[in-house]
Amino acid sequence: MEVISQNAVYFAVVLVIMALLFVWAYLTGRMQKEFSTMTWVLIPVAIAINLTIGQIVLVLKLPVYLDSIGTVLVGVICGPWAGALTGALSNIIAGIILAPDWFPWFPVAAVIGATAGVMANIGYFKTWWKVVVTGFVIAIMATIVGTPISIIIFGGISASGSSLITAFLLETGRSLLASVLTTNFISEPLDKIATSLLAFAIIDGLSTRYLSRFPRGENATVEKGQKQTELIIALVVVVLLILFGVYILPSITGG
Amino acid sequence: MSLNRSFFVPLDSPLHRLNPLTKLTFVFAMILPAFLSLPAFAPGMAIPVLIAVFVGGVQRQYRGLLFKLILPTILFMFFMQSVFLPIGETVIFQLGRFDVTLEAMQTAFLTVSRIFVMVSSFAILLLTTHPGELMSDLTRRGLPPQFAYVIISTLQILPQMQAKAQTIISAQRSRGLDTESTFLKRVGAVVPLVGPLVFGSLVEVEERAIAIEARGFTSTRPKTSLHNVPDTNADKIIRWIFLALVILSLGGRIWLS
Repeated sequence: MEVISQNAVYFAVVLVIMALLFVWAYLTGRMQKEFSTMTWVLIPVAIAINLTIGQIVLVLKLPVYLDSIGTVLVGVICGPWAGALTGALSNIIAGIILAPDWFPWFPVAAVIGATAGVMANIGYFKTWWKVVVTGFVIAIMATIVGTPISIIIFGGISASGSSLITAFLLETGRSLLASVLTTNFISEPLDKIATSLLAFAIIDGLSTRYLSRFPRGENATVEKGQKQTELIIALVVVVLLILFGVYILPSITGG
Repeated sequence: MSLNRSFFVPLDSPLHRLNPLTKLTFVFAMILPAFLSLPAFAPGMAIPVLIAVFVGGVQRQYRGLLFKLILPTILFMFFMQSVFLPIGETVIFQLGRFDVTLEAMQTAFLTVSRIFVMVSSFAILLLTTHPGELMSDLTRRGLPPQFAYVIISTLQILPQMQAKAQTIISAQRSRGLDTESTFLKRVGAVVPLVGPLVFGSLVEVEERAIAIEARGFTSTRPKTSLHNVPDTNADKIIRWIFLALVILSLGGRIWLS
């Protein structure tokens, strides 16, 4: 009972922060600026891209989902609120046409779009290595939001393949929270970094004239650098992030 | 798995005739007690859900969903959780080196019955309500019309994009793109498949924006609807009853604890 009331307090605090952010963005007009007609038309296309690419990846049998490329795209070129809306509606559409058990995950999809938007606003969607960092931050946020949903609604072990990792970690004596958190932390970064890189490749291929029609098209102006140094920095960043995961994570989750 | 369908079955049952909002209230009146009230509510809510399936006359389609989607998921979850959850003392039997305890099985049963209620009640809503009808009713009640536009137009774009994806996969395969062999080749196939699909669909965005702007999309004046969704007094009464039931079940939880 104590645990439940503690969780209820966290939940209430998160809701209040969300509400304050919403009111702030609404009153300062930041939110309205993101939703031009171009944004409203892009969102359905982005959702369709999410679901269709998700299916192509299934055909290719790759160990990633890549089902939020459209969400990241909208987050970057239209803004965090538009990205969050795209993610949430994307899961609702998937619930309507694929399977209703997509519905409970909508906060995860929303936070993916919002994080992509915020990272792009502070200039982290302009070169390859920055995009890798963005992908990693998106993965962390998705883990933070996804873990409580996984535990509260699906009991921590769902019907997906990565649950086998959770089961293994539980067997080694970790708590349920630590196991689910570690599982998500192992499986999310690869998917989200690949998603961000693909979204970046797409933006790189769009013309400046086209991008400038969107509310935050300037977020996506690609900085042309030395290709080789870029690649080296990107690789170093990936290695550092993996080391971070291996050494820091166990101490955060308490072993 | 195909994307070009929604679950909707056009029939004329009492459930189909209800207002979409009433059915949405029904969904939450099932889910909230199952998740937030006493543990006994979780399996208990399955009874009204199954009754609703028969009232809606969608038994055949629901059975299809049950065997293809719901049962495989929850049976697998029940198995995994009862074997791997490290809780409880009362060992029922051992599976290899894992103890299957009574407490783990109880937790697993609670979780899967909640999932069952959640997925089934949404399935009933989707089987008996056309997405367009739901959206136009919610728009009439004050949801910004842009949301309806996004949902409806996604449902229209998806089958087209699905077909386009199939065409692109076939076209690239006929040019010799390897989509089946080694891992690295399959990774390499992502860009040639994703690129044409995404750029092709993004090009249409600009034209469509001009087209809907010319039709008053950004106008802030009240909009009229071609299709009128009936909302009877019975609907209103049913919604209040559902609301009262939710409050009662949550109140019971707080009172008893």
